Amino acid sequence: MLKKILFYCAAVALLILLVLHFISLPRTLDASLIPQHKADLQNGENLFWAGGCASCHAQKEARAKARLMLGGGVELETPFGVFIAPNISPDRQAGIGSWNTAEFINAMVNGVSPDSTHYFPAFPYPNYRSMPYTDLIDLKAFLDTLPPISSATADHRLHFPFNIRAAVGLWKLLYLNTGTFSARPGVEASVERGRYLVNGPGHCAACHTPRDLFGGEIKNRLLAGARSLDSASSTKAPKSNRIPNITPHAEDGIGKWSENDIAYALESGFDPDFDSFGGSMVEVQENMAHLPASDRLAIARYLKSIPALASTRD
Amino acid sequence: MKKLFSRTALILSLCAVSSVAVAEDFPFKKQIVARQAFMQVYAYNLGLLGAMAKGEADYDAKIATGAAGNLLAAAKMDNSTMWPKGSDAEAPGLDGKTRAKTETWSTYPKVTEKHQDLTDALIEMAAVAGNGLDAVKSNMGAVGKGCKGCHKSFRVPKDE
Repeated sequence: MLKKILFYCAAVALLILLVLHFISLPRTLDASLIPQHKADLQNGENLFWAGGCASCHAQKEARAKARLMLGGGVELETPFGVFIAPNISPDRQAGIGSWNTAEFINAMVNGVSPDSTHYFPAFPYPNYRSMPYTDLIDLKAFLDTLPPISSATADHRLHFPFNIRAAVGLWKLLYLNTGTFSARPGVEASVERGRYLVNGPGHCAACHTPRDLFGGEIKNRLLAGARSLDSASSTKAPKSNRIPNITPHAEDGIGKWSENDIAYALESGFDPDFDSFGGSMVEVQENMAHLPASDRLAIARYLKSIPALASTRD
Repeated sequence: MKKLFSRTALILSLCAVSSVAVAEDFPFKKQIVARQAFMQVYAYNLGLLGAMAKGEADYDAKIATGAAGNLLAAAKMDNSTMWPKGSDAEAPGLDGKTRAKTETWSTYPKVTEKHQDLTDALIEMAAVAGNGLDAVKSNMGAVGKGCKGCHKSFRVPKDE
């Protein structure tokens, strides 16, 4: 009897493991879905700045032309361990120069590498995945024009169990569910452009939206402020580890900022009180400063249109 | 009875006032209040230039020149005594009172190099602020970079 029960338990456990194994397998892209598209380098460059690629993949403190040297190496210290941004320069060995379009899109949309492993979502593909394939083709074409860097980067140093890549497959089942962006009918084009830039390439929510226990964004708290995940810049002063609420809430958010205030802050780094941005927002803003003014205004208009949420402590 | 009540109220309110005063006391208060007020002087003058750059105020050469001159004068002031070692956000009793990171001191003199970048940007702004709106607009970015130089590395986020 006992033997029978043990056998039964083992069989169930094995079955569960098998099911988990299969549902956590990396998914690849159906290459037939990639459209014929002549790359637009200018759009690719805009998306590069909107996407903040340089913030992690260029060297720390890199300025001017060095922002375009994407050899990686920036360390992201988080509660899960240390993530090290890889080399995404067009170097064929150390970088991503040997990738074809399908492999690039699969990385950006499904978080899967060319050798079929899961990327950790420190790489914000859960946000990037809403980018239309044509935009991704443009972005890849721009990245291909940048200088190749031949230095390899070190591996992530993650704590158990976060270092199990198969677990990322399960994580994706729970959280990787956004589709490709499509504009809502009847909503002004500039607001929709802003919605795309904020939630897609701009991945604002990656920092400004709180996350649940497993690191998924809490969707009904969109952009309502969060605890900083970057433990490198955190301090022992608990009041000082907050990422601001950027919903239009008058007291807790940026409801008192006008559209012009938001657009100018992204252009210059000055808030409406003429305090400057600080911390990690400095890099974000300096990337956004490269965008056309119409895109910064679109971001402002979208941010004014989202639900105003009071701050909570997560 | 009424007298007793009003006396009690008086004593209670005195206690309340003094307890607020005690609660508001914190280490390096003088220096922290002074340096934060000093930042407000920057912000006020930047606001004069910024309102013009943002298109919220008409360009006025006299106001622009004055503000840029004030900013440069401010940057040249010797404020070193306002930044005593140990007056950072992690110091006992200072969480929420100051946003200065310990790195301000632990990586010294990096902060003075960043401050020099701000001074350089303000020398340029002060030289051209009277030359028209475009000059103000195009130099705001460099001045902003000067401010962010320190705020990026040496200041913790604002508590909401």
